[in-house]
Order: sequence, then C-alpha cells, then structure tokens
Amino acid sequence: MLGGLSVADENRRSFLKFLGAGIVGLAVGVAGGYALAPERVREIIRTATITQQGGAPSTVTITRTEALVTRLPRDTIKIGVLGIRSGTWATYGTYIEQGARLAVEEINSAGGILGSKIEISIRDEAADAVKQARELVEQERVDFLIGVDSSGNAMRIGPIMPELNRVLIIVHAATHRVTEELVYRQGIKHIFRVSVPVYQDGILAAWIAKDLSIRKWAGINPDYEYGRVSWEFFKTTLKALRPDVEFVSEQWNPSPGTTDFSKWISAVMATDAEGLFTVNWAVEAITLHKQATELGLYKKLKAVFNPMGYSMDVAYGLGKDYPRLEYGTWVSGRYVWFYPPTEINKRFVDAFTRRWGRLPAYSAEATYTAIYMIKTAIEKAGTLDLDTLIKTMEDMVVISPAGVRWIRPQDHQAVYEVPYGRISGNTINVGGEAPLLTDIRAVPAFLYYRSPPDYKIPFIS
Amino acid sequence: MDLDLTPVFYQLFVGLYRASIYWLIASGLTIIFGVLRVVNFSQAVLLVLGGYMTYTFYNLTGSFWLSVAMASISIGLVGVAIERALLKPLYRVDVTYQLLMTFAVSLILNDAMKILWGKLPISVPLPSTLAVGIGIFGRTYPLYMILVIAIGFAVYIAVLMLINRTMWGLRVRATWRRPEIAESLGINTSNIYTAVFFLGCVIAGLGGGLVIAFSPVVPGLGDFLIVSAFIVTVIAGLGNLSGAYIASILIGVSESIFTLYLPEIDLLLIYLIMAISLMIRPQGIFGER
Repeated sequence: MLGGLSVADENRRSFLKFLGAGIVGLAVGVAGGYALAPERVREIIRTATITQQGGAPSTVTITRTEALVTRLPRDTIKIGVLGIRSGTWATYGTYIEQGARLAVEEINSAGGILGSKIEISIRDEAADAVKQARELVEQERVDFLIGVDSSGNAMRIGPIMPELNRVLIIVHAATHRVTEELVYRQGIKHIFRVSVPVYQDGILAAWIAKDLSIRKWAGINPDYEYGRVSWEFFKTTLKALRPDVEFVSEQWNPSPGTTDFSKWISAVMATDAEGLFTVNWAVEAITLHKQATELGLYKKLKAVFNPMGYSMDVAYGLGKDYPRLEYGTWVSGRYVWFYPPTEINKRFVDAFTRRWGRLPAYSAEATYTAIYMIKTAIEKAGTLDLDTLIKTMEDMVVISPAGVRWIRPQDHQAVYEVPYGRISGNTINVGGEAPLLTDIRAVPAFLYYRSPPDYKIPFIS
Repeated sequence: MDLDLTPVFYQLFVGLYRASIYWLIASGLTIIFGVLRVVNFSQAVLLVLGGYMTYTFYNLTGSFWLSVAMASISIGLVGVAIERALLKPLYRVDVTYQLLMTFAVSLILNDAMKILWGKLPISVPLPSTLAVGIGIFGRTYPLYMILVIAIGFAVYIAVLMLINRTMWGLRVRATWRRPEIAESLGINTSNIYTAVFFLGCVIAGLGGGLVIAFSPVVPGLGDFLIVSAFIVTVIAGLGNLSGAYIASILIGVSESIFTLYLPEIDLLLIYLIMAISLMIRPQGIFGER
C-alpha cells in the first residue's frame, strides 16, 4: 500500500514537471523571438512490483512522460569568426565582431545553448582567408564558421567547406555566385548566407530608379567582382523595366585603395549623365560623395544611387553633410537599423547602442542573427551532427532584427527584404550624427531576388 | 565645329591635381635617393602621417594652414628621428637593408596610426574661403585644387633653387656626387644626409596636409600611393628632380585622359608606360643624375 501511494505521487510530480518545462520553453521562444524547437518528451516505462497486504505480489506497469533534457557532447560550442580586420575595410571586421560579441554575451548569460557556452575566435580574413579558415577548424577546432566580408574570400572559402566539414554562415559577402553557383549548382550544402546578396545592390536599385524621370545613367564602381556584378544587374534590370534609359559612362576605380576619385568624377562630368549609380562602399563611398560634391558633379546630376550608402560607417562619416540631390540620394544596406519597426528590432538596436555606443551596422546585425541561427538549429536538432544541422537550417524561418528571414532550401540564401530610402535633412545623434532616411521604399524580396531555375513562385513570372 | 573641349580641359586639370600629389611624394623620394642612396619606402606613409598630424593640429588650433605647416615640420622631425636612429647604422651595409628598414618603418607607422587615430577615415574640412570654385569658360574649377597645383609647382621651384642657388645646396650637390670628396673638403655629410631627409619628409608632410582637405586619410593609404610615386620616379630616372616633376605630370595627366577615353584599361596603361620606358630607357626617360 505504501508503495502504491508513492508511485501515484511520483506520477503527478512528473506531469507537473512536464507542464512546467513546456511553459518555460514557450517563454524563451517568445523572448528570443526565434523559431521555437518542438517540445521533446520521452516516455519512461517502468514495472514495479507491489506487494499487497496478505496477497501475492502483483506487477504493474507505470508509464510516464518527462521533458527530455538534451545535453551536447561538450560544454563549449566554438564559433570561428572571419572578418576584415586590417587595411581600408578594417571597420567591417569590427562590425562583425560587435554583432558576434553581443549575441554571445546574451546567449551565454541566459544559459548558453542547451547548457553549453559559446566561445568565439575572431580572425582577420585579410590575412589569407583560406589559411585562417583552415586554422580555425583544424587547430582551434571550431564547430562553425561565420562572417566573411569580401566576396572574393567567400568564393575562396566556400569550396573548401565540405573538406573542412563545417557549416559556414556568410554575413556580408554579397556575390550571388556563392549561393547560385557554389550552393545551388555545385551542391555545396555547407554554405548559408543570412545577408542580402547583390540583388539588393543591382536589381532593387533598378526597381526604384525606374520611377525617377532620369534617362541617362553613369556608373563609378569598384573594379572587382562586387562592382562589376552590381553594375551589370542594375543595367540589365533597368533596361528591361525602362527601355528608354541609356548608360553614358562606365568608370571603374581600383578597390580597395581609391582615395581620390577626381578623374572618374570629371570623366562622368564630361558626359550628359543625369543619374549616378555607384556601389563604392565604406571609406570609398564617403570619399566619392565628398569629392563629387566638391567637384560640382552633384550639382549637375539629379540623383545618385549608392546601395550600401546607409552602412553606418558611411552614414556617420558624412553625417549632416551627406549630399542630397534634387531627385534624391538613394541609399540602403543589408539591414537598416530602423526597419522593420518590430519589437525584436527595437530591442536589438537598444542592446547594441547600449553595448557599443553607436547604431548597429548591417553586418553586425547579420552576425548577431547568424549566431542565434546556430543556437536555434542546435536546439532544434539536439545534436552537433553536421548533416542534421544542415537539414535543420534549410527551410528555417528566423525571426530576426532585420525581419523574417526564410532560408531558401535550394540555395541556402536568407530571403528577406531591406528598403531603400532618400537621405533627408534630419539627423539622429547616437554616438555621432547620422542622417535619417525619408521616402522609404521596400519591394517584397520574392520580386527582386533571383531564384534557382527549378524554383517557381506561383503567380509571379 | 561644335567640339566642346571643356570636358577635356577639366580632365587635364584634375590630372594636374593628382600629378601634384604624386609629385609631393616623388620629390622627397628623389632627393633622398639622390643624396642618401636610400629608397625610402615609407615616403607615402609619411605623407599619410602628415595628414593625420594636420587633423590633430587642426583640432587644437582650428586653423587649416597653421596645421599644415605644423604637420610638415613634425613629419620632418619624424624623418630626422628615422634617419638618425634607424638608417644611419645601415649606411655601411648593403642597400637592401635600408630598403627593408624603410619598409619596416612604413609597417610600423601604419599600425601606429591605427592605434593613435583609429581605423576610420579622417578628414579636415576645407576652409570656407577655399571651398569655392572659379568659373573658367563655363566650367567651375575648385580653387583648392588650383592652389594645390600651384603649391606643387612652388615646391619644385623652391627645391631647385635651394639645391642649385644656395651655398647649402652646393654642399648637398657635392655630397650627391661624391660623398667621400665632400667629406674630405670638410663638409659634414652626416648632417647633409639628415637635413636632406628632413627636407624630403617636410614635403611629404605638406602633401599629407594638402591631401586631407580633399581626400580622407586612412591607415594603409600610403601603400597605394607609393606605387604611383615609384612609377613616377622609375620613369623619371631615380634621383632626377626635374625628371620627377615632369614624370609626375605625365603620369597624373595621362591617367586622367585614359580614364576619359579608355576607362576599361586605364590602370593597365600606366604600367604599360612604365614597362615601355624601362625597356627603352632603363635609366629612366630623363636619366639618373
């Protein structure tokens, strides 16, 4: 009889425990804003022999369910972070680092990933990216690789990922070739990208430029993969949308390293261009805008498009002096800090500015999201097994500061939209003066993202 | 005939401005190589440092020209320190070591600038009196660029006068030609070396001060500028001052014109000019002096 009672008690307690676990799990999911892992339960079947008074012993089967506590095989999850930490673009490595540190601090102080702490190791991709990636995996034994600022480096590291047997989540490098060629065509499933590719820079820019009454366009673009591809996308898309446009000047500046744009600026001034398209970024964007103003180009032109012109280094760098053209200075980023106006984004921006004293740059947001994506994937998969994790990440929906990102299974590209806007005369002061945008224009990502050939969106041709 | 030549003039003008910046690096390279036989790899990095110093002095004084002057002198003094402490012990050994030392200096300075001024680009606002344009034949030419071109030319004349028309210049020329004989005539060649290094660095500092009002400075900028400056000096013939001035203009202007007419291959053409000039006249178009 005593035994019988105790069994009944235990049953009730474990049921309460199960319920409690469910509620806790739900709360974390809401607070984090990330896709919640399904509740994992296990059934425990036990037999007990109960001896009743004066009778023969009888055997009863007791079944109960309890929340399964998954433990990872080790106490620390190591993430290798690659970013440019030296040279002209060194600030971008800092942005990646800031996003990574913020996410890691948040996750670790909230108990880590299934109890395991995250540890990050940051390397300079400007110092032989492939070597750094190899050393991170082979010597430091990191479980994941994230980061990569340069498209060239992404194309170099991407192909060795199967050999390194790790997942790489790209947070900045924008060439479409990473997802279209490496992932989709060559089938390298180890690569994911959480940031917008050049579709943002070339295609979406054309979608917005088509509405301006400008017919003659010129380009001053960095002379490497990113500049060439973006200009090509811009030209072909705009020509398709507005057959009357002309491209009257194509200039290519070496990058990184251009500090004096005068000869390209005057070459554009020698034409009758009305609009300028440039994907120069970072220091080079700041310099180009300043010099185009000083040399009088921006008095002659009606509009300028600078797709990464709202990266925070450029925004802070030009501040209230950011030139404003008659039909607008149109800028964007791979995330802009005020969009979308969701609670999770607000919380991220607040946390970021508290931690680092400035508004978050786009690559900081993408890195932050990449680390949360790793957390969610591990929690969902309950394992560090690579194939399971890749399967889990494919088709994942990540609710992140930049909005809802859907990881498209075919090419492992995060599909989400980032708006364009015009530089306004107003500024915000958070650790420096940055211009605010006006005339915000967003186009659904499905419309301007290129899609794998076998991927059909209903009703959209 | 309705051929409009204003765009071409503007392109030439912009080329002259760029040429002047190249010249402010190449002139220092040239006199230092001429007299000391040292290829100062850190010349362009010193120009960048001059830009940073101008920025700091500008924040302290608020006067652009005063800051440029102070930065020039400071870079001169940095140059003296480099020459006395790091190069002097190496004069007796192979020239490769001097080149390596100046390369090391440029690496150290690059990182020091990163530590002192951060990795973000830095610029100094153009004084409002200079941020104006001058209308010539229907096109506005920025006054500041005109001024930089004029300063570049003034530096050329001044250095030429200093070396060819003064007593000190005579000593420099003596050291330039035959250091041993100059020494035997009682010329303190060691002081001449230091003074010439000082002068070369002052010009670099001046260049940095002038650059920062138009294009921002950033660590690593020097590594790119030095390439053009080397092309200039190689084409001119190492150590040839007038040659360096003409070669600066040649490179600056042809870069500009190529950009207007052959934008797809403008970068290649500069190297092509260098390759051809090396093949035809390995001693440089104007010869080594």
